[in-house]
Amino acid sequence: MDLPPSTSVEATFEIPEGICVLSYSLNVQQIIQSVQDDAAGATAVFIGTTRNSFKGKTVTRLEYQAYSKLAIKTMASIVRDASQAIFRSDHQTKGQNVQPLIRCAVHHRLGTVLVGEPSIVIAVSSPHRKEAFVACEQILEDVKKKAQVWKREFYEGENEDTAEWKENH
Amino acid sequence: MSESTQSSITVLYFAAASTATGLTEEIVLIPSNGLPLSSLGDLLISRHLGTDLANVLQSSQWSVDAEMVDEPDSVVLKGGEEVAVICPVSGG
Repeated sequence: MDLPPSTSVEATFEIPEGICVLSYSLNVQQIIQSVQDDAAGATAVFIGTTRNSFKGKTVTRLEYQAYSKLAIKTMASIVRDASQAIFRSDHQTKGQNVQPLIRCAVHHRLGTVLVGEPSIVIAVSSPHRKEAFVACEQILEDVKKKAQVWKREFYEGENEDTAEWKENH
Repeated sequence: MSESTQSSITVLYFAAASTATGLTEEIVLIPSNGLPLSSLGDLLISRHLGTDLANVLQSSQWSVDAEMVDEPDSVVLKGGEEVAVICPVSGG
């Protein structure tokens, strides 16, 4: 395996709206617990896992690297944007000045992620379900579009040197 | 060439760019009166002839000191910057 870039390191960025983490490990239950709050009626969670196939080929693992100091800033601004978008949108319960989202947590793996293992976990808590679902999805789509994270896909029986770096579309 | 006429930047390569160059980073000397970011691509390609770098750069963006560059034509590197090739991302 090639050495990862020196800047592809673990990183954490905490903002008022939540926490963003790049790490070599993920604890799904811990991440869900980290957004818990007595004011929350809903917690939406997305878990992305390594799938065992791509276009008919058997995937054995994914490898992730990041430009961590930039990726973590991007993830934080994504969380901030989602919080603000929900605040202004129709999803907010009319006539109430409740904070629409309580807490977000976005954790992304670095390094090797085997088939079936989680590579990204997004957890969002809010008083009501609609905001949690909407924010969770928006954060996921924005991370896929913008975060300075890259994954390489390895297939069974293929030379590792030719493993391709994926591109999100 | 005397040292006083040159500055340097650190160029970071990730993903396809690092596979193409075989490097994750390198120090690149630039003229001390500055190098337009729009010229950096050709400079890097000339340092890695026979690789796929030109192809990778075509679909890549730049970041300078950990900020994405929206208008590369308006950026001039002065020396000391950390410049990254940001090829199409695939997180999440």
